[in-house]
Order: sequence, then C-alpha cells, then structure tokens
Amino acid sequence: MRSFRILTPRDVATAVDQLPATRGPATREDARVLAGGQDILTELKHDLIAPEALVDLSSIAGLEGHERTPDGGLRIGAMTRLVDLERDASLAGAFAVLREAAASVASPQIRTQATVGGNLCQRPRCAYYRHSHAPCIKKGGSECFAATGHNKYNAIFGGGPSYIVHPSDLAPALVALNAEAVVVGPRGERRMPLENFFTLPSEGSILRENVLGKNEVLSELIVPKPADGTVSTYLKFRERESYDFALVAVACTLRIDGSKLASASLVLGGVAPIPWRATRAEVLLANAEVGVDLVRRAAQASIEGAAPLSENGYKLPLTRNLVWKALTALGAGGAR
Amino acid sequence: MSFMQEEKRPGKKKIKTTRVVNGLDVEEEVWVDDLEAPLFKPREECRLLGTRMKRVDGPAKLTGAAEYTSDVRLEGMLYAKVLLCPFGRAKVKIDAAPALASKGCVHARQLVDETKYLGQPVAVVAAATPELAEDALRALVVEYEPLPWVLDRGQALAEGAPEVRSRGNLGRPTEDGDAGEVEAAFAQCAVVVEQEYSVPVQHHVCLETHGTVVDYRGGEDAIVYCSTQSTHGIVGDAAESLGLRKAQVRGIVQHMGGGFGSKFGLERAGTLACEISREQKRPVHLMWNREAEFLTSGNRTGAWQRVKAGANKDGRMLAMSSDVERYGGIGGGSHAGLPYLYSVEKSLRKHASVYMHLDTNCAMRAPGHPQASFAMESVVDELAAGLGMDAVEFRKRNLNSPAHLRQLDRVAELIGWNEHPNRTAPGSVDGFEAVGIGFGCSRWGVGGSPVCQVDVRVMNDGSVTAEVGSQDLGTGTRTYLAAIVAEELGRPLDGVQARLGDSRMGNANGSGGSTTTPSLAPAVQDAARQMRGVLSVAAAEHFGCAPEEVVLDPDGARAPGGKLTWLELCALLPPEGASVRGTWQSDLAVSGVACTQAARVRVDLLTGRVKVEKMVCLQECGRPLNRLALESQIRGAMTQALSYALLEERRVDPQLGIALSADLETYKIAGSLEIPEFVALVDDDDLREGVAGVGEPPVIPGAGAIANAVFNACGVRLRHLPLTPDKVLNAIEERKSS
Repeated sequence: MRSFRILTPRDVATAVDQLPATRGPATREDARVLAGGQDILTELKHDLIAPEALVDLSSIAGLEGHERTPDGGLRIGAMTRLVDLERDASLAGAFAVLREAAASVASPQIRTQATVGGNLCQRPRCAYYRHSHAPCIKKGGSECFAATGHNKYNAIFGGGPSYIVHPSDLAPALVALNAEAVVVGPRGERRMPLENFFTLPSEGSILRENVLGKNEVLSELIVPKPADGTVSTYLKFRERESYDFALVAVACTLRIDGSKLASASLVLGGVAPIPWRATRAEVLLANAEVGVDLVRRAAQASIEGAAPLSENGYKLPLTRNLVWKALTALGAGGAR
Repeated sequence: MSFMQEEKRPGKKKIKTTRVVNGLDVEEEVWVDDLEAPLFKPREECRLLGTRMKRVDGPAKLTGAAEYTSDVRLEGMLYAKVLLCPFGRAKVKIDAAPALASKGCVHARQLVDETKYLGQPVAVVAAATPELAEDALRALVVEYEPLPWVLDRGQALAEGAPEVRSRGNLGRPTEDGDAGEVEAAFAQCAVVVEQEYSVPVQHHVCLETHGTVVDYRGGEDAIVYCSTQSTHGIVGDAAESLGLRKAQVRGIVQHMGGGFGSKFGLERAGTLACEISREQKRPVHLMWNREAEFLTSGNRTGAWQRVKAGANKDGRMLAMSSDVERYGGIGGGSHAGLPYLYSVEKSLRKHASVYMHLDTNCAMRAPGHPQASFAMESVVDELAAGLGMDAVEFRKRNLNSPAHLRQLDRVAELIGWNEHPNRTAPGSVDGFEAVGIGFGCSRWGVGGSPVCQVDVRVMNDGSVTAEVGSQDLGTGTRTYLAAIVAEELGRPLDGVQARLGDSRMGNANGSGGSTTTPSLAPAVQDAARQMRGVLSVAAAEHFGCAPEEVVLDPDGARAPGGKLTWLELCALLPPEGASVRGTWQSDLAVSGVACTQAARVRVDLLTGRVKVEKMVCLQECGRPLNRLALESQIRGAMTQALSYALLEERRVDPQLGIALSADLETYKIAGSLEIPEFVALVDDDDLREGVAGVGEPPVIPGAGAIANAVFNACGVRLRHLPLTPDKVLNAIEERKSS
C-alpha cells in the first residue's frame, strides 16, 4: 500500500470537490471515497489502486444513521454501519430482508466498521480481479480469465464480457424493497431506483459496477413504504458458513392477500454482475394462487435463462432450491 | 522345594528400618519409593499428572504478554521483506538501485536470476520500518520474462513439457507386490471396488508466519529469535549465515504460533535475516507475509489414488492394487502407502511423484498419512456397503490391533451408531436433509529418543526451576515440564518455574513426529526423581532416618522423625541450592498409539452443505500427563481434518501461471460455525506407564470418517476432497436423476 493523504470534508459538496473532476474512468492514482474502509483497504493492499488521497466520509455529519420516514418508509444514510441495521429489531416484516442481509455480511468485526454505502459500492471478489498480476478485463485488460479458468464462484446470469458476481448482500435486499439511491455530484443531487444504479458489464463501463462518476458520492438510500402485510426474508448460502461471500443469495418480499399473492419481489445475489431480479419468477408469482405447485414453478422459473460456466452449474439447483425455500418460508406455498 | 514368590510393586522397594515402639527399637520392613527407578507415581496417587491442568502460560497468551518471534522489537532493528515471483517460472531482472535510494532502505538485492517455482522469493529489502520496507519493495524495478511452467498434472506430463528436474516430471515409480497373486486373490472376492480418490494440496496455515529476528550488532555473539519447532536445530544454520561459530549463537523460542511440521529449520526467512544482519551489523526482523506463507513455506502433498480392492463374502479384504501419484511441487511428495492400517491379504502397489513448478511439500502433521487414510477408509467403506455389511463390523474383520476393536465399539456407541437406521445401507437423497455416520482409524508410531537434558534446581529459599532447551509449540510442553516436577516434589503447579525455548539450556529434540513428549517427559521425571532424592537425603540427615523414609507432600517433608515445611526443608540446602540433570528413560516412553474416530453429519439436500454435527475421537496416549492439553490436541487435530475434508484446497491457474488461493479469503479454513460438538477422549484402557505424543494420530482419520458419513447419510460417495457444496449438490442432483 502506498502512502496517501486523508481528506476530511465537512459536507458532501466539499467531498465532491475533493474528488477528481476529470472525465473518464478513475485511474489508479485518482482520489477515492473512503467509507468504512473494509473493501478499499483490500484494494490498496493488493495494489489494485494507489490513490493519492482518500476522501473520508466519516467526517461529514448526517450521513450515518437510519430512520423511518413520515410515510412509513425508510431513509438510510450511506455511512450507516451494518451493525446498526443488524441490531434494529424494528426492521421486521417487509424490512426483515434488510436486517437479515446486514447480519449475513462477513464477520461481526467487519459489520461494526462496514457501511451501507460501502457495501453497495464494493468491488468484485473474483480471484482474477483481485490478483495484481492478472490483467483482467475489469482492470483494463482484454479478457475475463474466469470465463475459461476457475469460475466456480462466477456468474450464471448477465455475464459477458466479464463474469464477476456482485458481492453485496444489501444490494439484493434493497432492490427487492424498491429502494432509491441518492447520488450527489458536482451538479447537485440525482435520484434513481437502486436497481438502475448497478450496471451490467455489457451496459456500463466495464471498469465499474454502477453509474457513479468518479466525483459522485452515494449519500443515502430511500426505501418507500411497503404495502401493509408485506413479509420478507434474505437467504444467503455460503461455502463456509462462518464467514464468506454468497454462493447464491435470495432476497424476497411478498404480500399474500387471502389465497393470492398480491405482490412479490425476488432478487438474487451471487449469481450475476448486478443484483439479479428473477423477473420470470416474479411474473409467475404476481396475482397467482398460493400453493406448492406455484412455488415449485416459480423456483424453476428463477433459473430459466441461466448460462452456467464450466465450474458453476451447481448454482442452478442451488438457486432454484433457495428460491423454493424462501417462498415456502414466507407462505407462498400455502399455510403450513 | 518351595519358596515364597517375592512380591513386586512398580516403582517401590522394601527396606529394613528401625522404629521406636513403646520405647524399644524394633526392626521392620517397609515399602518405600524406589528412588533409583524413575517411574511416575501411581496414577491414583497423583495430584497433578493425569488431571486437567490449565496451561501455565495461558494468562500470558490471553493478555498478549507472551512474546512471539514476530513481537520482538529491538533498538535499531531493520525490517526486511521479500518480493515473490507471481508467475509459475520466470527469468528475473531487477534494478535494486531505486529501492536503495528510497527513504530508510539500507539493503536491497536480487536473489535469483531464474525461478524454479511459483512464488519463489526473487528480491529482499531491509528498511527502518515495515512501511518503508514496503515502499522499497515497490521501488524495485522488476522485469519478469515468463518461462514455460507446469502447474498441474496435465501440464507436467504433457509431451515436451518443460522439465522441473533433469530426470523428467514423472518420478521413477516404486512398485511392490506380486501381480499374479493379487489377480488370483481378486478372483476369490465377492465384491470388488475400483475407484479413484484424490486429495488437494493442503497448507499448514500457521497463525504465526515463518520468520526470524536476529539480534546481531557485529562482535562475537548473536541471539536468534525464531518461530521454529527446533530451538537447538536453528543454531548451526544461523551461525553459518552470520559467519559465527555455533557456540556464539543463542536460539530463543519462547512462544510459537504453530508449525505443524513446516518449521524445522531456520528456513529461508531466517537465513536472509542473518545475512542482512551480518552485513548491516544491526538487528533484523523478517517474518513472511501471508502470501509467502501460502506460496513458499511447504505444504501437505496432494495425491491421486487409483485403488482396486476386493473382499470375500465374510468381509475379509483379500486383494488390493493401488496406483498413487504424489504431488509435492518441486519436492517428491509424501504418501504413507496403501493398504493403510487395514490388513489385506495380497497387495500390489505403485507410487510415483509428479513434479511441478510449485513449492516443495514438507512435513505436515502426520506426513503422508491423511492422504492414504482418506483413500483407505473410503474403499473400506465402499466394500462394506457393497456387501451390505455394517461398516463397524467390516472394519473389525480387517483390523488386527485389539485396541482398535475395543475403540470401534466404544466410538460406535458414543456417536449413536447402534440406534442409527443406516447401518447396512445408506440413506437416500429424498427429502430436505439426511443424517449419516462414518468411521476412521489410525495408528502412530511415536516413541521417544535419548536427547533431552533437563535441569531441575531448588534454591534454598524454596524456589524451583525446571529447564530444558525444548520448545512449546502451543501444545502444553511448558505446563507438563512444571507439572512433572511439582508432582514429584509435592509442590503446587505454580511452585515450579518452567523454562524452555533457549538453546543455552539442555539439549532437546525438534518437535516433530509427536516425539516431544515421549522424549522430554521421561527426562523431566528422571530429574524430578533425582531432586526428590537430594531433598530426601537432606531431610533424612535432619531427621536421622533413611532417605527412603522421607515423604514429600504439599505440606513439605515428613518422616518418622518429624515434619519440615517446604521452606524449612529448602533452608537445609547450601546457599547455592541443589541442581540435578535428568536424561531419557526408555521405560517412560511408549510407541504405537491407536486412534478411532466417528463423525456424524447432516447433509442439506437442497444446498449440498455438509454440516458436521459431532465428532468422537478415542485416542490412546499411554500415560496421560495433562488431560486438558491432550483433549485440546485431539480437538485441534479434528478441526484440521474437518477443514481438510470440507474446505481447504490450493488453487492455481495453470494457464496464467498464477496462484488463486494465497490468502485467507480464497484459501478457506474452518471457522467457528463449522466446528461441531467434539468428544475428545483419552483412551483410559491404555494402561501403559510410558507417555506418548498425540499431535499427529488424531489428524489422520477425520476426513475419511466425514466422507463416509456423507455417503451413509444419502448414498452419495464423494471421492475428491474437499467436500464443498458444489460437489455435494452436483452429486445429489445426479443421484436424484438416476
């Protein structure tokens, strides 16, 4: 890790000013945002970046903490620590998915330090991307080595030309909750559905995983009020239970009205370069009669269109089974 | 003619003594301890030995007060760091001048022109702080010209492959057995299994990385702090690297953060530190980073094992043929051979090394044994299943040692085998989860050797020291060093100061092969017995009785003539106190310990997760010294075996020639949630009086037991470690669709 300056802006506008204003993707040396530091520290140590400065958001008041909005939604500051979501027992029902996702991240030590914004903006864990001597396409090279190399942990959806999976646990949960992202840049604030914040390698810049410009800061997340009676869950499956990223994760919210599914949202983690909405399953579930057959068909639909690589075919049954488990746990299979 | 058989009691003798009874001198015979025979006290008389003693250095370790090699900080010390070649093989050109010009850097040089394996150190720098040393490493101008490499079997054995060594990448096979006899024996078999089993390369993952701190400032003396398994073993190499004589170098190993076989010598980090210290005449600190620990500090040999085995309808194994390839990088690899442990009437085997451009294998906790055990326990289980025979019963028909037979019964009972529904046929993949039980056995030679010299001193203020230049790898050596002396002298455990980890102290062997305890403990007991003799003589002179009549107990000394407190007794000693030196006593060491394990797993049929719920281990160890430390050794071994079974695996990309698992994120080891209920039992049916070390035997059978439990649960046989969810789920899906 090279030496760097730490900048401590007092407000977001100053932070934006301290970030590089030049056009184009960030260079190795460009100043970067420092949130909880849990991801950027590993990027620094692996010499993937060597920024001349880090702009420390912890010096800005008001970015940390989460609260209910007057209309019953949720506002989450980007600097909110994961442990604060994990420990908030009021995050139940529709919001349980968020609390469970936060609790599933890494280890207690990391959750105490890591932030919501940092979790959403963290870089991929692909071993080729993380290797300083593998010039992969995510780092300006011309090839995705996972496509033909070791790809047990890589994407089954949305891959190409890069096959990374997005490592965030909060992303599928917040997308399932239809959260909005608030991004502050030199021309002020812009808002977008969090789902549109993330970009596929084939859509946005291959060098990043979201729409953030290099002088933009993700400042907060706004979760709209879920319909009354909505229930939710986050199922994360790890190779090592104690401490790991997801092989596959399922964020699911749904609302049952009588014998029908009034609404359902199903977003997968660990399977694609972005939080992956299982659209076909959602379509199948919408306004359908609850029942074991529905759950079985929805689970099967969740893996339709998947394109596994040489070592990750297991993610198909794993995804299907976890979706089945999540839907069943939330009652989509009928009363148990 | 008839005569009375002379009664014998171990460690005791009869003496004639005079008692005053009703004012009259009466001569009588009494049993006393035989001070010439350095046996441990009978088990039932012991206050400390054989109990559960907390480690004497536990508080220091918990509070951080214990100083490990990597903690050593000396005035004027330099921090050295190495650069590793990231490719399988390369020509290297380095301009060190910019590094030498960087702030705080005093030493920077290229180490090799051409590397031999992935991750070989190519340059070393030394600077005033660790951060400046990192800066100096980055300042090196390095050009790699990649050379063709072979990083997996396919590359190694391909036509025209670059040669790892001049005699080709496939070592000359060793073969033994008579093919004709084995073929004939197969013809007699009712069931034959022919399968392939593989184990990956496993790393030691020492919590403290390899490294050395050298305290040399010119002149004629040096102190070398080293994270090593052999305090005495590093002195010669350090002296040579420093340009000194052995007598001028002192090795210090106060606390040690794990070796598992990988730290017998000074190692590369140590010689580099000595060379820099010699040049700079300043102390040098050089600890491997985690990447170097994974790439250049040795590993457990990987293996591919093709096995054919057969048994008759009575469950006797009649024939086995095996073809084993060892993957030890640039080393030859190690494998204990098949058949392993079980007796097979006719066997034919072939072993060969396949060489690759990866760092050499080295000793690792029972070198070569877990690999062989995994294949053997798997094939034994497959034969039992093929016959529809109870897996415990089948094992008993093919094991010779009575210890294993009784251990299997007890372990089966403790794991719940007798109530388990899948005793003769496995469960199915229907439903959400399945529970299974599997077994494995091992045996370890251990035994001690006459190396250790233990000095016990008692000062006339009552203080006691026991010292020897051995080392405590975290296994409890320091604790029994104090406890054996305290037991013999009637002192509390904290009444004896144990000192070790200093090459100026008495000789001791390196800690490998589970030989530390059987080599050291007998010498400690010898010294303790001698010291008891010295104190008994002093007390006997005071009381006017025979030395043998003096009893040392927690109150001090008593004899027919009266009592002395401990302080009064020690005050009888001359001002310089008393000291004795103990040596090895063959009667106090045993060799050959049996171990039997069982694992109960829950397989999640939806995800492929293998959750080990419970593991039972029954381990012979001869005379147990400290049950808490023994149980801890057994638990640690089961943890390492579980981690080997479920998670651990070195990964490289053979095309790019790079390592993909050189950190603790990608090289996964078991964490707290992987740990099952452990039942770690010292086998108290082993009544031998000598002691044995058990660092190694309980690490051997665990992986086989777990894989067998997975099969037992759901009928899915997994023959390639580790049993990660992808493999398990694929196998479940395959079985469901067949």
